[in-house]
Amino acid sequence: MTTTTTATRDSSGLRLFSWFLAKRLVQAAVVIAIVSVIVFLLLQALPGGPARGILGQQATAAQIAAFNHEQGFDLPLVQQYFNYVGQWLQGDLGRSFVMNTEVSSVIIQRLPKTLILALAAVGGALLVSIPLGMAQALRRNKAFDYVMTGLNFIVYSTPSFFLGLLLIMFFTQLLGWLPASAPQGDTVAEILSQPKEMVLPVLTSGLAGVATFSRYMRSSTIDNLHEDYVRTARAKGTPMNKVISRHVLRNSLTPVVTMLGYYLPVMFGGALVVEQLFNYPGMGLLFWNAAQTSDFPVLLGCVLVISVATVIGSLLADITQFILDPRARGGVK
Amino acid sequence: MSTAILSRQAAPKSPAARAVREFFSNKLAVIGVFIVVALVVFSFIGPLIYQTEQVSTNLMQADLKPGEDGHPLGTDGLGYDVLGRLMIAGRTSILVGLAAGVLATTLGTLWGSVAGYLGGWVDATMMRIVDAGIAIPGIFLLLVISAIVRPSEWMMVLIIGAVSWLVPARLTRAEALSLKSRDYVLAIKATGGSNSRAILRHIIPNTIGTVVVNATFQVADAILLIAYVSFLGMGLQPPATDWGAMLTDGISSVYSGAWWLIFPAGIAIVLIVSAFNFIGDGLRDMFDVRGQS
Amino acid sequence: MSTTAIAENHPVPALKFENLVVDFKTKNGTVNAVRGVSFSVARGEVLAVVGESGSGKTITSLTAMALLPSTARTSGVVEVDGHDVLNASESDMGSKRGNVVSMVFQEPMTALNPSMKVGKQVAEAILNHRGVSKTEALKRAVALLEKVGIPDPVVKARNYPHQLSGGQRQRVVIAIALACEPTLIIADEPTTALDVTVQAEILELLRNLVQQTNTALLLITHNMGVVADLSDRVAVMNAGKIVETGTTVQVLTAPTQPYTQALLAAVPTLPEAKWDTVIAEERARISCPEDAVKESTTVAPVLDMRGVCVDYTSGGRKLRAVDTADLKINPGEIVGLVGESGSGKSTLGRAPLGLVPVTGGSITLFGGNVLKASTREIRTLRSRIGIIFQDPGGSLDPRMIVGDSIAEPLVMHGINGKRPSRSVRETRVAELLEAVRLPATNARRYPHELSGGQRQRIGLARALALAPELLIADEPTSALDVSVQDEVLTLLLELQNEHGFGCLFISHDLAVVHSVSQRVTVMQSGKVIESGETSRVLQLPEASYTRHLLASVPSPNPLLQRQRREARLALLSSKDS
Repeated sequence: MTTTTTATRDSSGLRLFSWFLAKRLVQAAVVIAIVSVIVFLLLQALPGGPARGILGQQATAAQIAAFNHEQGFDLPLVQQYFNYVGQWLQGDLGRSFVMNTEVSSVIIQRLPKTLILALAAVGGALLVSIPLGMAQALRRNKAFDYVMTGLNFIVYSTPSFFLGLLLIMFFTQLLGWLPASAPQGDTVAEILSQPKEMVLPVLTSGLAGVATFSRYMRSSTIDNLHEDYVRTARAKGTPMNKVISRHVLRNSLTPVVTMLGYYLPVMFGGALVVEQLFNYPGMGLLFWNAAQTSDFPVLLGCVLVISVATVIGSLLADITQFILDPRARGGVK
Repeated sequence: MSTAILSRQAAPKSPAARAVREFFSNKLAVIGVFIVVALVVFSFIGPLIYQTEQVSTNLMQADLKPGEDGHPLGTDGLGYDVLGRLMIAGRTSILVGLAAGVLATTLGTLWGSVAGYLGGWVDATMMRIVDAGIAIPGIFLLLVISAIVRPSEWMMVLIIGAVSWLVPARLTRAEALSLKSRDYVLAIKATGGSNSRAILRHIIPNTIGTVVVNATFQVADAILLIAYVSFLGMGLQPPATDWGAMLTDGISSVYSGAWWLIFPAGIAIVLIVSAFNFIGDGLRDMFDVRGQS
Repeated sequence: MSTTAIAENHPVPALKFENLVVDFKTKNGTVNAVRGVSFSVARGEVLAVVGESGSGKTITSLTAMALLPSTARTSGVVEVDGHDVLNASESDMGSKRGNVVSMVFQEPMTALNPSMKVGKQVAEAILNHRGVSKTEALKRAVALLEKVGIPDPVVKARNYPHQLSGGQRQRVVIAIALACEPTLIIADEPTTALDVTVQAEILELLRNLVQQTNTALLLITHNMGVVADLSDRVAVMNAGKIVETGTTVQVLTAPTQPYTQALLAAVPTLPEAKWDTVIAEERARISCPEDAVKESTTVAPVLDMRGVCVDYTSGGRKLRAVDTADLKINPGEIVGLVGESGSGKSTLGRAPLGLVPVTGGSITLFGGNVLKASTREIRTLRSRIGIIFQDPGGSLDPRMIVGDSIAEPLVMHGINGKRPSRSVRETRVAELLEAVRLPATNARRYPHELSGGQRQRIGLARALALAPELLIADEPTSALDVSVQDEVLTLLLELQNEHGFGCLFISHDLAVVHSVSQRVTVMQSGKVIESGETSRVLQLPEASYTRHLLASVPSPNPLLQRQRREARLALLSSKDS
């Protein structure tokens, strides 16, 4: 082992990375395939099939049969499934029952807006929660830590629409500082030109993020503070504040990155509620409106797109972690 | 190193006693237990003492302010007494939350321990199903399902359980993976013991810490999910109600000036969910479970 | 060199303890970890503090660094190079740590920051105390890495810790400790986590460094061989007090205190190899690793493995853990299987148990071919094996009372094909507990209520439940203190005598293997290097690796250890020439 040269170690690191990447990509593909099966099965589970949804409760059996034949809904299930997959692969998510447009074009218009909201919320939350979590860990079981832990749990335990309402009552109704309605408009540029309107939606979804992330950062920092390398650093005379900034910070961040991958579905779920509350024209609102009108192609299209986005997101998180953590990168023992 | 020495020298009490003391030394956990007990008494024993009409509406008595006409918290837009309604709504929220949390944890524990112990292709297949489930945000799935079937209380338990078992499955699998290389599990395998013996007698009993801690967090999350479903208009049918539905009913009142109507149910949700989270946090210290938040 | 001469040159000792008392306030009351310890270490001197776990030796050493947990209460005098430590401020101590006094830790795998390059970690120690530029500090770090014997120091400085072997990591930790040429280095079990050949290298390095730099070294260890090899003086610690002090030769060869005598008596010893012959042979390279094993045709072996290969896949690559290994155990025979970590000894031991993927060769268990038998046949064959593992904490299910753990094999396989009744089980458990010299009342206790030695006895009872014809013991005493190890080994031999089972005894400790086994097999990098009668292999080893391994095991006798050290260096030089 000692005789292995550095050159072979480096190349073995690269090999390990490509193996990891290949494995992860195959996994992601399998997961997306399973998601497509779930979405397809949900479509089948609709009462009376999609025909009832479109033609309404008054439709006759003959009308339904004709519709099913026209749409290919009378084919064997497996064949129907592959027909769907074929369409999905071409970017065809079907037509909305209600809006008379392609589902894919609506989603393409809405998705970026949700992403802007989510990125602003997550970015802001990270900026607050990383120092907050570390500060709590360093003052573990002191008054500051107890108070912040209690607050974090309370914010985490507050339904986001209740939190949003409280913020509206305070900032809009009481102080009159901020509008209660989110920015409107078709394009991303229009949304970005209304920063004041963005504040409350971002704050509402961001606060829940702060509660989650700072808990992770706190426990990750506490774990790292107990590691032997901290003692080694102190034993060479490094002052505690430098031990934190040079050694503990980076190692504590790694699990937070992994957690971000898992947080994506939570974030999309949160967007659904926040967009509904503030009337923000993103994917969440689209989905909610579709649920009100039983617009199943839109509902399932959204689920499909969001799941794929989540799978890709957690893939990126895993790759980032692989790069951040030198142990994962190369030359295992 | 030094702490290991200490714990060996100073361990006169049994670990169970120490664990219980550890739990009660977590002040937030004690507060959590207190809140849960108080809210359970309020929701289940309260209606026996404070009886109100919660089935038929009474528009003559609608929109009373707190304290008016013998209604301590006033009445809502349909004339229901808010305090009484808070009690019966709490019953639903707590019961559905507990049942869904327990269901999700049980399912997840079985799934995760089988996948982790058997490993190989079985594990890969079972965990990709979990990954796919996690990739679809639970609330989206809930809404789609609610659009198909209008949920009763038990339906709600099943649906929430069905979208919530994935995280416990992942956690238990990780635990099972580490447990299966413990010597006492290897010994079963090596001396010709069956898989079911290894899983049921050794793996699952040893994940109990993870399971209990996670179950507590699951109950908290389930209660939140019920509230979200109600907020999105897909909850229980009136006159049945839960805290989420009450809170949602109150939202329109905020804009019409009756701002106080969102507070009873809103505070109740925050209290019960925080309380379960506090308890979970205390249990985590007690079982010394790492890596769960 | 004599201690008095050093004391004259430096009237101030590098380290002085006077009546040191350390208490810990815990939730369960006060723990008196150190109860009045006094000793001092002069420059250029190596003082070993030796004791079993819980003796307070580590706490004592951490006091000198002022790195005790905040729950500690100290009194007495601790001076490092004349500076008071106990009353020093944190910033004051910060300027001393790594500068005047530095430390080498036990666990090189975790002692370094996993996400920082090792050169930078060494340079940090220099930057903390010397006003030099970063480039200069890195340059000095590379020089230090070279000094502690790291090959390619320029390249290695840019590596992360996980890219280095355990021994190299420990060298990096030593380089950090040396960085500012401290007056005193504290080494807390510096070689405990290392393989014996690597241990010998690290000890050699420490000895040379102390001689070159005239640094004082406080060595904390439980290993008498390490004490004999490195130290000038010894302080024996037990239950927070110093039991005996003296020169190393004095204490290790003629101890006056009963505690020290008992401790030394429990240390298993390795017979001295015939070094002159061995070295002469090594120089002449008459090495013949193939040992002529006497084939006995009359008895069928309980276990016969031929040409066994085990392959693991990791990261898309195949790793051969065991490569065409042969091993045979006759009924009633104890065979030792020795090797360093990564040698494949545990993997080979697990091959007949179906716990590892066997990809080649044949394994015959009690005459039946394990690799070809049906699942049911294998189940029956394996019910005739008992297993005992290393970790006394991990070998019993923590959530099961030990009586149920012992009875589990009976429930799994039945007695005479029948599932035994509760009373039958209880009787058998009581018999087994008696056999391992434990009271029957222990059946209702949980593993955590028992000591490590008791747990290992329970493991033995469980392994014997079905009266096995073969016992596979994987490092059964490695996690135990030496006195407890002695008890468990004695018990194992008595039971083997009584029941006559064959036994595969896997261990990294050659002295332990010597004390139990009739034959021994040596493995390295997945291959069987040498096997034969224990006394022959250990005294007249034929393979170069075995010779090197034997010379690396430090003897607890300082005089013999000197011989072994010289033999080791002679073997090394014959390899180079």
